[in-house]
Amino acid sequence: MLWFEREVVATLVSPTLDDRQRSDVETYVDESLRSMPEHLRAGVAAESLLFGSLPRLQGLLGRYDRRSLGPRVARWRASRFDVVRQYVRLLHSLVLFAEHELTPRAAR
Amino acid sequence: MKPTTVTLDADVVVIGSGAGGAVTAAKLAAAGRDVTVLEEGPWIDADAVEPFSLEEMAAKYRHRPAAALGTPSIAYAEGRCVGGSTEINSGLYHRLPGHLVESWRDEYSIDEFDPDTLDAYAHRIEEDLAVSRLPGAPPPSSALLERGATKLGWRSVEYSRVFRYDTAGRGVKQTMSRTLLPQAVDAGATVLPDCRVHRLLRRNGRVVGVRCQRTADGRVEDLMIRANHVFVCGGAVQTPAILHRSGIRGRVGTGLKVHPMIKIAARFPHPVDHGGVPMQVVTEFGPNLSIGGSASRRGQVAMALAEASDNIEDALADWERVSIYYAAIRAEGSGRVIGVPGLRAPIVTYRLTEGDMSRLARGLVHLGEVLLASGATELYPSVADGPVVRRQDGLGAWWDAVTRSRASLMTVHLTSSVRMGEDRARTGADSFGRVWGYENLRVNDASLVPDAPGVNPQGTIMAIAARNTDQFLADT
Repeated sequence: MLWFEREVVATLVSPTLDDRQRSDVETYVDESLRSMPEHLRAGVAAESLLFGSLPRLQGLLGRYDRRSLGPRVARWRASRFDVVRQYVRLLHSLVLFAEHELTPRAAR
Repeated sequence: MKPTTVTLDADVVVIGSGAGGAVTAAKLAAAGRDVTVLEEGPWIDADAVEPFSLEEMAAKYRHRPAAALGTPSIAYAEGRCVGGSTEINSGLYHRLPGHLVESWRDEYSIDEFDPDTLDAYAHRIEEDLAVSRLPGAPPPSSALLERGATKLGWRSVEYSRVFRYDTAGRGVKQTMSRTLLPQAVDAGATVLPDCRVHRLLRRNGRVVGVRCQRTADGRVEDLMIRANHVFVCGGAVQTPAILHRSGIRGRVGTGLKVHPMIKIAARFPHPVDHGGVPMQVVTEFGPNLSIGGSASRRGQVAMALAEASDNIEDALADWERVSIYYAAIRAEGSGRVIGVPGLRAPIVTYRLTEGDMSRLARGLVHLGEVLLASGATELYPSVADGPVVRRQDGLGAWWDAVTRSRASLMTVHLTSSVRMGEDRARTGADSFGRVWGYENLRVNDASLVPDAPGVNPQGTIMAIAARNTDQFLADT
């Protein structure tokens, strides 16, 4: 996973999961992205670089705060631009599937 | 370290071990031919992972997310293991409807293609695989569909499945890794798992061998397999990709057909089963629209709910009362598979027509009607920000909601990328699957099926593969 993908996934993962569970979910998302057809993965990676450019810049200036990403990702989920909305929905669906299949939350 | 290169010889090489490849290999081996089956994925014990689980996806699927590009894009799933997609599908079985056989025969000039012949092959396959109905009462997820259809006066049927039942009524899916592939091996065939085909080697209008790479015991081997005959049975996406990588084009990879599906996560006032797939199918609007049930494990329920709404916590906490159903259409639109040198995965595109979008909206509304009639209290459509519906009079809102940018579609049925027939302008192979221009190269899988059949295609693929293999044995 690219840096920004990891940040978005960290935002999407349920706050009730412990570190080990969060790590399992992230690993699943990482493996899923790697198993995508190359041209689709390249498209997602390009989006990640584009959408992550501002947070990256903020990070370089020491002004990036992951907590500010949550509201932004929530807005992107309802964006009128397909490419933005689908980017977040892809990552969210992978996170949801892993959260509910991998972790003890599934047995709750 | 440079991989070692090993040269092998075989009379017949079969590439792919799913419904088409397994039938081909079993029949050829039973006839005494020297057969080598090449499968890109691993050989996994059929009981090793739970159906539709995350572990199964990791072990047996080609990609976890993959999609045909288009507006909307269509997510698709393919098996990548010994047994191919028969290892991961629902096991629902249906013969190819006779009227489609006749229509395709006429449209594509397919020789010796008639309902009686295909039914005879289907009958033998059904005996071999113990195709049967559920011996007892259907699970609640299936009975609900029947109840809703009955209430509305719609036709519905319980589909047969490729399941063998014991005396206690426990069913075991008769996948290719449990049935025809062991038969092929017993008759002398060799199955090489973890073996990815790079390309076919051609000389003077013949294929003379297959170049592939095998991973075994942690070692990577380059294989060159010299062969008198080659059957490519990788499925409707991989078969044209292999042919393209080998420089074989013509009408190969065009005309891809799928059954696009739109889904609803339906919440009921009582718990619903989540272990399998409902076998009841609403046929009232067939053959162009069918309604059935999908795998509904907790992870899948979570994803389906999230398609429609951000506020899913309440429904998700109640997931044991939620089940997923689909409406599938026979699409007018079609797609392409393009094998690109240097890329492992081909590019797949699909274009739905306006009529297809309208049929999907109609399918979603009908699906909503039958689910509400069956007692569902909340419906979450697979439409971005699609309205959650609780009453019949709310369903009308979905007509406008199913748009190209908001509908979330998927498919598990892909066909028709190397159509068969004598009309060379529209087909990639002759009436028995021989690729135009190559006397010893055949395709024998879902790629040959001339159009989307409107029903689960496994029975169709197997019957056509058996027919074509018999013709090959008669010819050679």
